[in-house]
Amino acid sequence: MRILVSFKVTPDFEALREADWAAAAADGVRTRYARRILNCFDESALELALRLSEALADQGGAADLSALSVGGRETEPYLKTLQALGYGRAARVEPEAALDFAPAVTAALIAGYVQQVDHSGLLLLGCRSGPGDSGTMPFRVAENLGWPCPTQVVEMAPLADERVRVACMVDDGLLRATVRLPCVLAVGNAVVSRLRVPTLTDRLAQRGKPIAVLSAADLGVDIAEELSRETCALTGLEAIERARPGVIVHGETPRAKAQALFAEHLKTRMEKL
Amino acid sequence: MRSAAILDGTLGTAARQAQALAGFLREGLSGDPVAETLIFYHDERDRVRLVGLAPTRAVRLVRTATRRPDRIVETLAALATNEQTELFLFAGGAAGTEMATRVACRAGGAVLTDALSIEVRPSLLVGRKNVYSNHLVGRFELSARPACVSIDAGWSDEGRPASLEHRVLSDTDATDGAGLAPFEDLELAAAPPTGDLAEGRFLVVAGYGAGSREHADRVAAAARRMGAVFGVTRPVAMNAWAPMDRLVGVSGVRTAPDLCIVVGASGAPAFSWGIEKAGFIVAINPDEQAPIVRNADVAVLDDGVTIIEELARIVSADREGP
Repeated sequence: MRILVSFKVTPDFEALREADWAAAAADGVRTRYARRILNCFDESALELALRLSEALADQGGAADLSALSVGGRETEPYLKTLQALGYGRAARVEPEAALDFAPAVTAALIAGYVQQVDHSGLLLLGCRSGPGDSGTMPFRVAENLGWPCPTQVVEMAPLADERVRVACMVDDGLLRATVRLPCVLAVGNAVVSRLRVPTLTDRLAQRGKPIAVLSAADLGVDIAEELSRETCALTGLEAIERARPGVIVHGETPRAKAQALFAEHLKTRMEKL
Repeated sequence: MRSAAILDGTLGTAARQAQALAGFLREGLSGDPVAETLIFYHDERDRVRLVGLAPTRAVRLVRTATRRPDRIVETLAALATNEQTELFLFAGGAAGTEMATRVACRAGGAVLTDALSIEVRPSLLVGRKNVYSNHLVGRFELSARPACVSIDAGWSDEGRPASLEHRVLSDTDATDGAGLAPFEDLELAAAPPTGDLAEGRFLVVAGYGAGSREHADRVAAAARRMGAVFGVTRPVAMNAWAPMDRLVGVSGVRTAPDLCIVVGASGAPAFSWGIEKAGFIVAINPDEQAPIVRNADVAVLDDGVTIIEELARIVSADREGP
């Protein structure tokens, strides 16, 4: 079974100060100095694919794991980690333009990679990622490929004949379903949320293994033309006002603080509950 | 502009979808109103109930197979072409995101998900949604038609039951030629109940600052002692200190309690979205600079577990009387 996971590396938006966000609404968001993190849903997808591959091996099958990111050099440490963890192929597509709010272009690049380079039959993506938070990427890629796409996938297990059993936390319950490859799986709030850490031995064994760097042109995508066809354009940003009074409760000891909190702010409110 | 609200009546969430759409039509949509609701249903017995839920007077019904978003997408893409429908409005959640995206892709339209508002002008459609993990709101112009918009999951219209006299304009059968289902052997189990989180009037939430599973359990015990519903932030659920169904925030439940006590959470916007409708917010956090302190009505600058346990003792003693 050929399995591809497409992931995104984003700035850690929680690392920016509130003042930065207030300024960002007027002057644009500056994230150059924020540390980079793996999108949390993609991290689940990457670990779930490793577990799926192990389950296949237990059943006497074999998995061929592959990782892709549409992104710059900041993705390479992650791709190297994935190589050490057993991802046989690791590639990134150089974006050549800011694609954060152009999900249709990114979807065309991912679908192009699947069709022209990788030929995997199972594609895993996190169900949403920042900064656009549109949640549309898995469905866009699925539409480009003409594949089905179960969403909010939280568990997966291999079945015979290129089929996968998935559990999806959908809006009205936990839905289990069998899906035949080829398909896209949009990974949601899975309990499996941390990517394992490779051993030093694994890292050394994979040292020097190349990461494929592709351009949009390699995948037959004209980024400028695709961007000109963007049909949902970001035209401005607004700050969000969440401030409340933030009155500080004082006291000499924790008990005194709790007593003051209760007496001054909570007793009457609790009686009305 | 020809537009329609879409209700997937084959799912167990039909009433929630209808309430959310009703709230959005009243407060989130400006400019041209949406005049009709398109209801997809499967079971004849649900027909009357579903029509009664519609957020508009005019209703069109389409009979389809259960849990076949692919069929709904095909029907809507055809409508966009045949009837020049220019705006489809879907409820929030995973199903709405999927349908809005797929219809836009098939019909060459534009998609905006999780919309906070939509302004329909004669030649322009402007929508707003949260971006940058809920740190900012983005304004978007949708230039292609049909515009396929799913609304933010925070929309609801609870407590305001629709009292419309509905008119069923048509009832068509699209169950034929359904083709091969993309998924087989479906089994739906009820999700772990989160209704107490959504509906609870008194909520205690533990954040990552609780520090460990044991401490998160102690916060949960204190919440129980006070009669509060217990929830957690995403980092707590991700560390398996509490089950995923206790998650409050963008990827979990949006709550609206009268009183909310937040223990050891920094107040990341993705979490704050889940409690911002609370009547009164208390933050317990040792860090005065944590955003939650400014986003709370009252704050205690101290260790969260210690204070919530002290508070639980005081509340119990007060209830038991002298």
